[in-house]
Amino acid sequence: MSVAQDAGTNKLANILVVDDDLTMRFLLKRVLSNAGFNVFLAENGKVAIDEYLSDEIGVVLLDVQMPVMGGMECLRYICKHYPDLAPIMLTANEEVTNAVEAMRHGAFDYVIKPPEMKKLVALAQRAFQTYTQAKRLRKVEAELAGAREHEIFIASKIQRSLLLGRPPEDIEGLKISSLTIPSQKVDGDFIDFFKLNDHTVDVVVADVMGKGLLSAFFGAAMKSHFLRALHELTIDAVTCKMMNDQCVLNQDANGSFHLPQPQDIITRVQSRMIRNLEELESFVTLCYARFDMVEKTICFVDCGHVRTIHYKGESGDVELLQGINMPLGFPEKDPFIQYSASFQPGDLFFFYSDGLTENRNPDNEMYNEERLVDFIKQHGHLDPKKIIDSAYVEMIAFADSKTFDDDFTCVAIKIESEQGLAQLNTEAILEIKSDLKELVRVRIFIREFCESVPDSLLDPRRIDMLEIAVTEVATNIIRHAYSGRADEQIQIKAQMAEDKIILLFYDWGQGFDPQMVPPLKDISKMAIKDLPEGGMGCYIIAQSVDEVEYSSDKKGKNCACLKIILAPDIGD
Amino acid sequence: MELSKEQIDDILVITLKTEILDASNAKEFRSQTVQLLENSRKVVFDMTQVKFIDSSGCGTLLSCLRQLNGYGGDLKLSGVQKPVRTLFELVRMHRIIEIYDKNDDAVCSFQ
Repeated sequence: MSVAQDAGTNKLANILVVDDDLTMRFLLKRVLSNAGFNVFLAENGKVAIDEYLSDEIGVVLLDVQMPVMGGMECLRYICKHYPDLAPIMLTANEEVTNAVEAMRHGAFDYVIKPPEMKKLVALAQRAFQTYTQAKRLRKVEAELAGAREHEIFIASKIQRSLLLGRPPEDIEGLKISSLTIPSQKVDGDFIDFFKLNDHTVDVVVADVMGKGLLSAFFGAAMKSHFLRALHELTIDAVTCKMMNDQCVLNQDANGSFHLPQPQDIITRVQSRMIRNLEELESFVTLCYARFDMVEKTICFVDCGHVRTIHYKGESGDVELLQGINMPLGFPEKDPFIQYSASFQPGDLFFFYSDGLTENRNPDNEMYNEERLVDFIKQHGHLDPKKIIDSAYVEMIAFADSKTFDDDFTCVAIKIESEQGLAQLNTEAILEIKSDLKELVRVRIFIREFCESVPDSLLDPRRIDMLEIAVTEVATNIIRHAYSGRADEQIQIKAQMAEDKIILLFYDWGQGFDPQMVPPLKDISKMAIKDLPEGGMGCYIIAQSVDEVEYSSDKKGKNCACLKIILAPDIGD
Repeated sequence: MELSKEQIDDILVITLKTEILDASNAKEFRSQTVQLLENSRKVVFDMTQVKFIDSSGCGTLLSCLRQLNGYGGDLKLSGVQKPVRTLFELVRMHRIIEIYDKNDDAVCSFQ
């Protein structure tokens, strides 16, 4: 193989000679052809660019001084558009400074004219080898990037299928909702739920340090260690009972088995995984919590995880659950300490990963724990799914982006009200004209309807919000469905069923498609001259009630349906 | 809608004599205030009597702020009741318009 051949394709190397001196062009053509190059000739930089430069050219000999477009300008073009190609500059003796300058800007080398042909050929061959190596390197880099992307795809699949457990729906008095959105890099957040009996569920929310496949696999392995630890410790308890020995540790006063304690489970998992964690120089922060609906207690072990938020329904206050344990994977000698706290109906526990508190806005400011606590104070009375949906919206608004640098993981666990609401079943109807003067009647109707609901289930603040929501819905109907006509009909039906209030607004005007409403921008970030005077209604409705739906039937009857979940709440 | 106004030095204090600022009267309020604000730079709206506001009410306040801001002026609010504040917080109005408990505090903040 000639040195002027591509090692990969065995094709002859293409060389482009750019020189305004005809004699020099033809002399170089003869010499370089004899050396095994395919030679192309151009009389200036412009002709070279317009007619000859392509990915097929492996070497360029470039005269510094040429009419139309000189060597320096042509060099800049080549470096920008063909970064693998490094031209050899041809220069007269007095232009050496220019040639040296050219090398600073990406030229491979320079040759003083008239060139010593043997040297020039050797230089061209070297330049070609460098070019093919650079090309190969770029190809390998592209393949590597593709492989990395594939790894992220696999890691994200592992995360979705193996790391994220589904919350149980059949623990009486407990309502759980969770959400994980993997970041583009895929971290090792995982959550899982272990239902131990009809009234006990364990929740684990963890974050494996590191990114990509390794942390995703590690999370999966860790999850199986939790299951194994639970299983083994339960078997130990049964064996102990069967042997009828003096083992009292695993029995309660009634003689039934105690479940393995969270601290024992964590200790077992740590002992199994410590070596792997140390080898991989990784560690795991987590909160392992047990909800006992009979004892009304949460018992938890926190290992360096972000602090879980306990919202108290009765007072509207929050407490932060924090332990003193080090993350798993730290060579910790002290036993894991577990804490417990009691809860009441209406309370909420919000578990999350640092993806929320470390979410950054365009000014690089972190969302932080304080903001999250305020958010939970404001939204703690809502249904857990609504809280999680609102948290997601809040995070997007803060970051001004729909993708996050870190995984976004949160779990909201609500202790439900014990009060039966069957006795509250009622219905009321109001018919009004589509006149803005009727808005006050709509508010009075709703306020009177809500009077039958005990304050403990629908506090004054939520009624205030409801008044705003119904005003917005009725205004939208009058202004948009009926285009401001004041003599059309609106019917409002209020129903109270089981644990919710349902408000139905019927009209026979133009149907409404909520998808057409642009999302409300955060006005606090706008310049005053850009502040909107309208367009806030739909946002306010969505934020003021638990659910909102719009529909139309074939006869042209439109319905806006608002749902308000009744739950203990004191607002602020 | 009845509005009362009081001039304290170069500060105009406008009291909204209504319990409601919603879609039913927001336009009327705005048309009354457009002229009042024309010759003012420093304005306080006394909201003590307003017990209910909706998005139209909020929009009209933002419109007043824009008008004043156009002349290099500013709008401040005083006596905002709890239900009104709840909505302000929801749409983050409280981050754009300064709110004071009392008129005097709002007036002092201009001086």
